[in-house]
Amino acid sequence: MEFLTFNQLVQLIVATPGAVFIGLSVAWLLGWPGKEKVVARVTAVTYIGLTILVAMLAWKMISSGTHMVTVDLGNWFEIAGYGFPLSLMVDRLSLPMVALTIVLVGLVGSFSIRYLHRDPGYFRFFLLMHLYAFGCLLLFTAGSLDLLIAGWEVVGITSVLLIAFFQYRKAPVDNAIRVFGTYRIADICLLLAVFLAHHWFGSGAWAVLFPGEWPNATHTITGPGMTFMAVLLVFAACGKSSQGPFMGWLPRAMEGPTPSSAIFYGAISVHAGAYLVLRIEPLLQSSPVARYLLMFVGLTTAVLATLIHRTSVDAKTSLAYASMTQLSVIFIEVSLGWTTLAILHTVGHAIVRTAQFLRAPSMLHDYHRMHAAAGGHLGKVGEQYEALVPHRVQLWLYSLGLERGCYDALVDRLLLHPLQRLARQLAVQKNSFTDPTPRQPAGETPSSLKPHA
Amino acid sequence: MLHHAAHLLPAQGPIGVFVHHNTLHAFQHLPFEEAVVKASEIFGTEPYMSEAAYRRDLARGRIREEDLDAILASQPDSDILPDGRLTINQLRRVMLSPGLRQLDPRSIEWQLEEGDWKRVFRRDLSEAAKKSLGHDTPAQLWDACFERVLPHRLKTASRIARPRDGILATQGVDLDEVVHPLLIRLCSVFLDQGLAYWPMPEREKGFWGAALTILLQPLTIYPRGLEGLGETLASFTQRRLTSEEAILACMEEFGVAESEWESFVEAQLLALPGWAGMFHRLEAEPGLAPHVHLPYALADFLAVRLVLTLGAVKNVLRSPAAWRTESTNEATERTQRLCETAALFDAAQLSGVDSATLRSLSDEALEKWMSEIRSFDGIERRRTFHLAYERRHERQILIPLAKHLALPAAAPQTSRLAAQVFFCIDEREESIRRHLEEIDPEIDTFGAAGFFGVAVDYTGMDDAHGAPLCPVVVTPQHEVLEKAVGDQEDLHRRRRALRRLWAKFFRNGFISSRTLVRGWISTATLGFFSVFPLALRVLSPLAHARLIAWLNKAFLPEPRTELTFERQDDVGREAAEGLLRGFAVEEKVNCVASVLGPAGLHKGMARIAVVLGHGSTSLNNPHESAHDCGACGGRRGGPNARLFAAMANHPKVREGLVSRGIIIPDDTWFVGGYHDTCNDDIEFFDLDAVPEDHLADLDRVRASLDEARARSAHERARRFEAAKPDIDFQRGLLHVQERAEHLGEPRPEYGHCTNAVCIVGRRETTRGLFFDRRAFLVSYDAGRDPTNENLGRVLGAVIPVCGGINLEYYFSFVDNERYGCGTKLPHNVTGLVGVMNGYQSDLRTGLPWQMVEIHEPVRILFVVETTPERVLASIRANPQLDEFLTNRWIRLATQDPDTGVIHICRDGVFEKLEGDEEPLPVAPSSKAWYGGKIEHLPVARIEQPNAPKLAV
Repeated sequence: MEFLTFNQLVQLIVATPGAVFIGLSVAWLLGWPGKEKVVARVTAVTYIGLTILVAMLAWKMISSGTHMVTVDLGNWFEIAGYGFPLSLMVDRLSLPMVALTIVLVGLVGSFSIRYLHRDPGYFRFFLLMHLYAFGCLLLFTAGSLDLLIAGWEVVGITSVLLIAFFQYRKAPVDNAIRVFGTYRIADICLLLAVFLAHHWFGSGAWAVLFPGEWPNATHTITGPGMTFMAVLLVFAACGKSSQGPFMGWLPRAMEGPTPSSAIFYGAISVHAGAYLVLRIEPLLQSSPVARYLLMFVGLTTAVLATLIHRTSVDAKTSLAYASMTQLSVIFIEVSLGWTTLAILHTVGHAIVRTAQFLRAPSMLHDYHRMHAAAGGHLGKVGEQYEALVPHRVQLWLYSLGLERGCYDALVDRLLLHPLQRLARQLAVQKNSFTDPTPRQPAGETPSSLKPHA
Repeated sequence: MLHHAAHLLPAQGPIGVFVHHNTLHAFQHLPFEEAVVKASEIFGTEPYMSEAAYRRDLARGRIREEDLDAILASQPDSDILPDGRLTINQLRRVMLSPGLRQLDPRSIEWQLEEGDWKRVFRRDLSEAAKKSLGHDTPAQLWDACFERVLPHRLKTASRIARPRDGILATQGVDLDEVVHPLLIRLCSVFLDQGLAYWPMPEREKGFWGAALTILLQPLTIYPRGLEGLGETLASFTQRRLTSEEAILACMEEFGVAESEWESFVEAQLLALPGWAGMFHRLEAEPGLAPHVHLPYALADFLAVRLVLTLGAVKNVLRSPAAWRTESTNEATERTQRLCETAALFDAAQLSGVDSATLRSLSDEALEKWMSEIRSFDGIERRRTFHLAYERRHERQILIPLAKHLALPAAAPQTSRLAAQVFFCIDEREESIRRHLEEIDPEIDTFGAAGFFGVAVDYTGMDDAHGAPLCPVVVTPQHEVLEKAVGDQEDLHRRRRALRRLWAKFFRNGFISSRTLVRGWISTATLGFFSVFPLALRVLSPLAHARLIAWLNKAFLPEPRTELTFERQDDVGREAAEGLLRGFAVEEKVNCVASVLGPAGLHKGMARIAVVLGHGSTSLNNPHESAHDCGACGGRRGGPNARLFAAMANHPKVREGLVSRGIIIPDDTWFVGGYHDTCNDDIEFFDLDAVPEDHLADLDRVRASLDEARARSAHERARRFEAAKPDIDFQRGLLHVQERAEHLGEPRPEYGHCTNAVCIVGRRETTRGLFFDRRAFLVSYDAGRDPTNENLGRVLGAVIPVCGGINLEYYFSFVDNERYGCGTKLPHNVTGLVGVMNGYQSDLRTGLPWQMVEIHEPVRILFVVETTPERVLASIRANPQLDEFLTNRWIRLATQDPDTGVIHICRDGVFEKLEGDEEPLPVAPSSKAWYGGKIEHLPVARIEQPNAPKLAV
C-alpha cells in the first residue's frame, strides 16, 4: 500500500469535501440547477471514497505503529522570519474524530438523500453539508490553533445556516440568529487565545505549544498567560458544546431538518468542544484553575441539563438536553484526565445520538410497538432521584426544569434587554445628532416579507 | 359561550389515531364557496389555489377556455356599456384570460414609469380589440382612463381582536412571542402521554391547577416580558378562582363587555388553534387520550392563556383595558387612483374600448364598469377558475365513462367464477383490483367499506387494549378477542414473556441512553456498537427489515390463534363492560348481509371468496395512522376481514342469510386477509381451516393476488421520482417495500392523495377502466335494491367518509401552511399527541405537504349507478348527506343502470351529460398505459388482446 503516502492520504481526506463543495457551488453559480440525482451520486461516491481513505489511513498508522502524522503545507505568509505555518496533523486523538466525521456524515448524507427529496432546499442542504464536513475535518486535523479556528468558524456558520434552513418562517431565523450570537461570544475567546498564543508564545502550532505525542504531550506554555489561555480555550469549547454559560442555544438549534440536527447537535459539531479540551488536556493538567473551571462547568451543566431533559416532552428537545448531559460528563472526564474514556465516550455518544435523532420522526411508531409489547403498561419512570426529596422541593425542581433553568429569562433580562435598550438610545442619540427631527427607529418587519402561498 | 367559540378549533385528536374529516366541518352548514371565503377571513387562510396556479393549469390545458365560457354562461349577465358593447360576462371573461396585469401598489409609480405600460399596448390583444382601438396610442388611452377614474377610497382595517393585536400596533411588541413559549411548554407537558421521563406533577388537578402550582414556585425568574407574573398569578390563587371564574375575571380586567365575550374568546383560542383544539377534543372525548386520562378542559387552557396574557400586558400598559386601538392602513389617494386607472386601462384594451369612447361614457356607465372590475376580485376570479377546473375534471371522468358504458362490458364469461375478492372501497385498492382482473379474468372484485359491516372492539393477541374497528360515527357493541388455540397456549405465553422482555429492554435502552448516570455508562461502553444497526438501517433498509423478520421468526414464533366471537343468543350484555362478547347468529347474519346484500352477487358465489382488510405500516411518519383504513376509524382492518370470513363460513349464518335472499352455496369458502397498502404485503388468516378440496382454488387466487400486488406496487412506484421508470414488477415491489422500511422516507406512500371520484355501482360498469388509483369503488347493484334501502345505507357510509377524506386533502393542499401542517421535515413529535415545527410551535394539524403534494384539489365526484330520482330520495332522507349535497361539498352524477346515460346534478337539478371532447384511449394493459409516466393519467380502457372476448 505504498501508492498513497501518509501526506497524500491526509490531504486527500481533508480536501475532498471542500473540493466537492467548491465544485458544486461553481457549477451552481454557472447556472446549473443542482439536479438531485447528480448531487446524490456525488455525495455517495465522495463518502464511500472517504471511508476507504480513512480506513487506509487508520490501517497504515496502526500497522506501522505511527502515532502521529504531520503534513506541512508551507507558510500562509512569512514576514521577516516570522510565519504562519499551515500544517495538518493526524494523531490518536484526531484519527477517531476524523473517522467518526466521515462515517456519520456519510450515513446522514445517505439518509438525507431520501429525507430531503423534492424539498426546495435540497441543493442548499447538501452544499452546506459538504462544507460542514470540510470544516470538521479541518478542525480535527488542524496542526495549529490558526487552522483550527478556520475549521471552527466553517462549522459554526454552516450550523447557523442550517438552523435557519426553513428561512421563510420566523422562528428558525430568530433562533439561528440567537445561536449565531452565542457562537460569536464564545468564538471571541478562541480568537483571543490565538492572538495571545502568537503574542506570548510566538506560534499557534500544536507542535510548538504541545510538543510530543498526544496524550503524552507536554506543553511549553508558562507564566501567568498559561491560566488565561487555558480559561479562554475552555470557554471557547463551552460555546461549541453548549455548556455552562452557553447552554441555552442547543434546543433552539432543533429548528433545522432532522438530519442536520443529527449530524450537528447529536454527532460532530457539539463534540468539537470536547475535542478542543482534549487537545489542550496537557495544559489543563498544569492549570488547576482551568481544570476546576472545566469540572465546575461540566458538573453544573450535567445536573441542570439532565433535570431539563426529564421534563422535556418533545422528541428533539429531549434529545438536545440528553446530548448536553453527556457532553458535560465528557467535560468532567477530561478535567479528571481520563482522556481515553473521554474519547470512547465521545465516539459512542455521537453514534448513539445520531441514531436517535434519525429515529426521532419514527418515535410514535416505536412507542406504539413498545407499548403493545409491554402489555399496555409501561412501568413508572422518573422517580429514582426525585423521590429522595420532599414533594415541595420536587415541585420546585420540576418548575426549574420546565423553565429550562431560567436560562433564557436571565440572558434576556440581564444581557439582551439592556443591550437593546442601549442600542436604541444610541440610535436616538445618533439621529438627534445627525438629523434635527428625532425619529423612532422602526422595529417592524415590512409585510412584504411575509410568505405568500 | 366557550363551547360555541370552540367549534372553530381543529377537530383532530391525538395523532396516533388519525381520522380524516372535513377541515371546515364548522362551516358545513354554508354553501362551499361561501364557507371557504368566510373561513379564510376568520383563519387568514386561502380559499382556493392561487390565481397563478390556475393560470398555469389554463396554460397547460388542464382548464380549457371553453370551461371558463361554460362557467360564465351559467351565471346571470347584463350590459355594462350600452348597445351590448360590453357585458358583465364579457368583462369577466377577459379578466380571467388573458387577465389584467397585476401591479404592486407599493411600487406602482416606478413600474408605470419604468415599464412599457404607457408606451405600447398589450401584445396579447385579440384582433377585434386591436381594430377597435384604432389609432389610439397607449398614452392617450391611459390619460383618458386617468381622467375618468374617481379614486375609490379603500380602508382596510386590520382586526384588533385581542390585546396582542392592539399592543403590536401601538407599541411594536408581540405579546405572542412573550406568552407562547411558556404556554406551549405548559400545554405540552400537561398533555404528554408518556414521553417525558418525569411527568408533570399534580396534573391530576387539571391544567389550571397544575399550571398555577408549577408557575408559582419560589425563586422563579419569569421570562422577559412576564416580569411580575408571580403577583398576577398569586392574586388568582388567593381568590381561589376556578378556571371559569378566572376567565371572567381576566376579561373584566381587559375591559371586555359581555357582548364581546364570544369574539374575544374566539380570537384567544385561534391564536394557538392546535393546542386549544387538543384540549377541546380531549375534553369532549377523554377516551381519545392514548395513555393518560386527566381532567382535560378547554376552560383551563383559556384561563392559563388569559392569565399569562394579563401578566404580559401589565408590563406594557398601565391599565390592561387600554389595549384597544384604531388601526387602519390607508393607501394614499394617488396610489389608489393609479391602481384603478391601470385596471381600467387594461380592461379597456382587452375589450377594445378606445379613448374617445371612454371619454364619452356617462358617469353612470363608467361607475358600473369600475365597480364590476372591482367586484370581480381575486377571490371571485379564483372561484370561477376553480369551477372551471372542476368542470374539466368532471368531463375527463364522465365522458370516457359514458363511452365505456356504450361499449360491450368486460365481464368474465364463465359458468362459475374462479374467485371473488372483496376489497375496501379505498381508491388505493383500485389498482390492485384492476391488475387482479387483468391477470385472471375469471376473478371478480368487489368494494365494501373496509370494516365489512363488522363493527367490533377488537383485542389482538399482541395488543394491550381493545380498539374500536369501525367508522368513527359508530360505537362498537361487540367485543372480540384473539386467543391462541388450545395447544399453542404455551407458545403464546412464551411469546408474550419475550415481548415483554424486549419492551423492557427497549425502554431501558431508550431511557438509559438519555439520563445522566445510566447514559454515561451506556453511551461510553455500548455506544460504539450502535453504528452497525444504524449503518444497516440507513444504507439497506430492506436488509435490516429481513434481519428483523428473521429474528422475529426465530425467537418470537406466532402461535396459531382463533377469534372468540361466538355468543349464545340468550346471553345478554355484561353490565360492567357495556360490550357484548362476540356476536349472536342473528347479528352475524346482519353483518354478512350488509356487505353481500348491496354487492349484488348475481353471478353466484365462486368456490372461494377472499376478503381483504387493509392498513399501512411505515417509518418516519407521525401521520402513519392517516394511511390506515378510514372505515376502521384510522386503524388496520385485518381483523374485520378475518371475522367477516369466519362469520360467512358459519353454516347457521348461511341458513339465516337465505331468508334475506342471499344464497351462499355449500361449496363456497371465505378466507380473510390483510393488505398493507404501503409495502403491498398480503397476509391470509386461518388458512389451516380451509377445506382440503378448496386448496387448489385458494392457490390459484393467491398466485394471482401475489402477482397483482407486485403489479400494483409497480404502478404506485411510477409516481415516485426515486423509482427508476423502467423497472420490472418485482423491482417495483421491492421499491415500495423499501419505502416502508426507510427511516428517512417522508413519503412512504401517497395515501389518499389524488382521490377525486367515488363510483357507486356494479363492477361490470367500471371493470377494465383505468382510474389511476383516483376512484373509490363501491359495489352496489340497484337491480337488487328495489326499496332503495341498500343505497341509503351505502351512501350514508361512503359520502361522509370519502367526502371527509377528500375535503381534508382539498384544504391541506390549497393552504398547506395553515389548513395543513406544512412540510414534514422540521416536524417534531411532542408528547405522543401531535407534531410541532422545530422546538416549539403550535400543534400542527391537517396533512403535511409530502402527503398532498401531487393532489388535484377538486371536490369529490360521486357517480351513482341508479336513477336521479332514487339517489336524490336517498340523499334527501338523510340530513347529513343532504347538507353535503345541497351545500355543494360534494359533486354528484348518476349513470342509469339500464341505458348507461349519465346525468349531472346541478343544485338539485339533473342535467344530461352532453359532448364528447374527451377521448377514451384504449391500451392493451395497465402497464402499457401508465408505464414510464409520472403525471396524472386520464381514464383509459384496458383491453387485453389475448383475453377472451367478453360480452354480455
